[in-house]
Amino acid sequence: MSGDKLSPLPAFSRPGLSRTTTTLTTRDILVQAKKNTVLKSHGRPPWYGEDGHRISDAFVIGIAGGSASGKTHVARRIVQALGSIPTVVIMSQDSFYKKHTEEQVRLAHQSRFDFDHPEAIDMESFASCLSDLKACRQTNIPIYSFTEHQRLDKTKYLYGAAIIITEGILALHDPALRALYDLKIFVQCDSDLMLARRIKRDVTERGRSVDGILEQYLRYVKPAYDHFVQPTSRYANIIVPGSDNAVAIDIISTHIRRQLDERATQLRQRLAGTGPRHLVAHGSPDISSETLNLTLLPQTPQVKGILTILRDAETNRGDFIFFTDRLATLLVEKATEELPYRAKTVITPVGVEAHGKQVDVPHLCGVSILRSGGPLERGLRRVINNIPIGSMLIQSEATSGEPLLLHLQLPVCIRQRHLAENTYAFLVDAQIGSGAAAFMAIRVLLDHGVPQDHIIFVTFLVARCGGISMLQRAFPDVKIVCGAVDDHLREMWLECEEGEDEQPTEGRKVWVVEPGMGHIGDRYYL
Amino acid sequence: MSPTSQTTPASVPPSVFTLPHTAQLEALYTIIRDKTTSRGDFLFYSDRIIRLLVEEGLNHLPVVPKTVETPTGATYEGVGFEGHICGVSILRAGEAMEAGLREVCRSVRIGKILIQRDEETALPKLFYAKLPQDIAHRYVLLLDPMLATGGSAMKAVEVLMEHGVPEDRIIFINLISSPEGLKSFCTKYPALRVITGWIDEGLNEKAYIVPGLGDFGERRYCE
Repeated sequence: MSGDKLSPLPAFSRPGLSRTTTTLTTRDILVQAKKNTVLKSHGRPPWYGEDGHRISDAFVIGIAGGSASGKTHVARRIVQALGSIPTVVIMSQDSFYKKHTEEQVRLAHQSRFDFDHPEAIDMESFASCLSDLKACRQTNIPIYSFTEHQRLDKTKYLYGAAIIITEGILALHDPALRALYDLKIFVQCDSDLMLARRIKRDVTERGRSVDGILEQYLRYVKPAYDHFVQPTSRYANIIVPGSDNAVAIDIISTHIRRQLDERATQLRQRLAGTGPRHLVAHGSPDISSETLNLTLLPQTPQVKGILTILRDAETNRGDFIFFTDRLATLLVEKATEELPYRAKTVITPVGVEAHGKQVDVPHLCGVSILRSGGPLERGLRRVINNIPIGSMLIQSEATSGEPLLLHLQLPVCIRQRHLAENTYAFLVDAQIGSGAAAFMAIRVLLDHGVPQDHIIFVTFLVARCGGISMLQRAFPDVKIVCGAVDDHLREMWLECEEGEDEQPTEGRKVWVVEPGMGHIGDRYYL
Repeated sequence: MSPTSQTTPASVPPSVFTLPHTAQLEALYTIIRDKTTSRGDFLFYSDRIIRLLVEEGLNHLPVVPKTVETPTGATYEGVGFEGHICGVSILRAGEAMEAGLREVCRSVRIGKILIQRDEETALPKLFYAKLPQDIAHRYVLLLDPMLATGGSAMKAVEVLMEHGVPEDRIIFINLISSPEGLKSFCTKYPALRVITGWIDEGLNEKAYIVPGLGDFGERRYCE
């Protein structure tokens, strides 16, 4: 691993993931402040309460101003000044140029297409993407190519930003967009300065000729600025100078930070009394599996025997893997009974009709909560041919035990909202103890538009008195299929483990299910 | 400790166990019955059924109480598997069930039997048998995907019993059986347990199961 400092997943090295420290420096963030990318400084903490509903919308900032007035610079400075923030996206109006006709593309290549007119922008799509992101849903924004002067067929998937900054000359023009902003900024800059910057940028970055730039400027850019851009400055909450604006940015970031702090306080209050410590008190060992509303795998002699082998501390790794795969296969087979079926008639090779059934599901996928969901993946693949399997890495923070979403890679049938609404998802994790990771994972799927009753959670073990009760109160329609229900959930301090680099790491708090199977991920992988 | 099988109708012999007839199982059978199903899908979905059948067959083996200590130091009152097993497949279609068997029973020994119709007598005749040496001390999972008339399966049981395997230690596993075949088989070997995935309507004039799925070995290996 020497020299490989680009690993985006800090979780396996078990650092003290704390809210006050960032794994990226502010310099890194500035360098990485690409547009249309969700930037992360550390994992995303919960954005929902114990009822499963999200606490607040994302914070949306709109930045308008003339071309080359310094909007992107202001956006990046704000991101930098905010320092430690979980997730930010800078979205550019340029992505939303309409799909052009061949004639328009030809004109554009001759610099005779008016890119500065509001008509050039697909405001409807802009507002709908922003509205999705603000409501913590996923969105897929269009991609516009300046070299081809055309909207591409591909789209860019975005999800999970706590702060959204949109910038563009007409960012404050459309009333539907303005209604979405929590803060409206106009960057004011002298016309001659803007023109000078524009010439420099278009020559070096976009390979245009000075004559072409000037012609376009006089024909389109300047009139559009005077007619459409400059007038929108009256909608701004704050007008920022286009240069030497350090003080203004400081004021803005202080304001944003205060707004975010208020939301965080609200979130903490809503979560108070529901931390993992308190989850345990919610249930008692006499809750029966029936009241828990779980589908428990029939406890046949073979299932009991497999569970005995998996629970035995003496079982070697080879046996552990083999019997884990076997149990996972049985669990996923059981889980497929939860899918809807419709009648189907086929002709057999003997030449007669056979009346049977067919799975009635437009899209089916798996989503694995890493790392412990991994041991269920072979079962998924054995039962559903070529199933797409997405993943989420959710780790608990060492000190508070709060879950953090560190990584998300979802199948296309969930990324696209119109598909997600018809998708059934097998969400897999080795066990439900405190339930915090399961809770977050379900919230992510719901944010994407997967209906609650299309989510089937498949797991080896459920702790009867753990977070399962709260999970089911929040998401009563999510189905849970498990191999066994255990009586206890115990808080334990994992002592200083020796890391790979022989550096003893500090201990961390964990919840163990008892009698349980030990740490299933470790026994399967290490 | 009772097996998971559904209660069987009165007409079905008591030694016959079927899988629970869920919509999910019915959907699996619909795929493998469909003559337009590709060989790849036929393989994948027949393997799924075979795994479920082998899991069910294993539930008829004895277990003994066993207490273990878990990694967290708790004790767990579980069960341990008891007795040795082996598989015996009837060539050639029975071999198709071996992959599914080994996914459930890792590195299990597998014997093979070839039985064909003797054209002179029109009766099934043993052509070849290669069995584990200690087969008399093992439970035997006998594998043949289709039970039509039951002729070759009964011949195979005869061979196993000649090798010293008691009748009640043989578990015959198949995907589809005909009521006629089940009746004659179970009348001859009442103590032998049969695990079948589906009992079909009957046999046609060519002794093919209807609706059935055609020739299992042909679809699995050749088409």
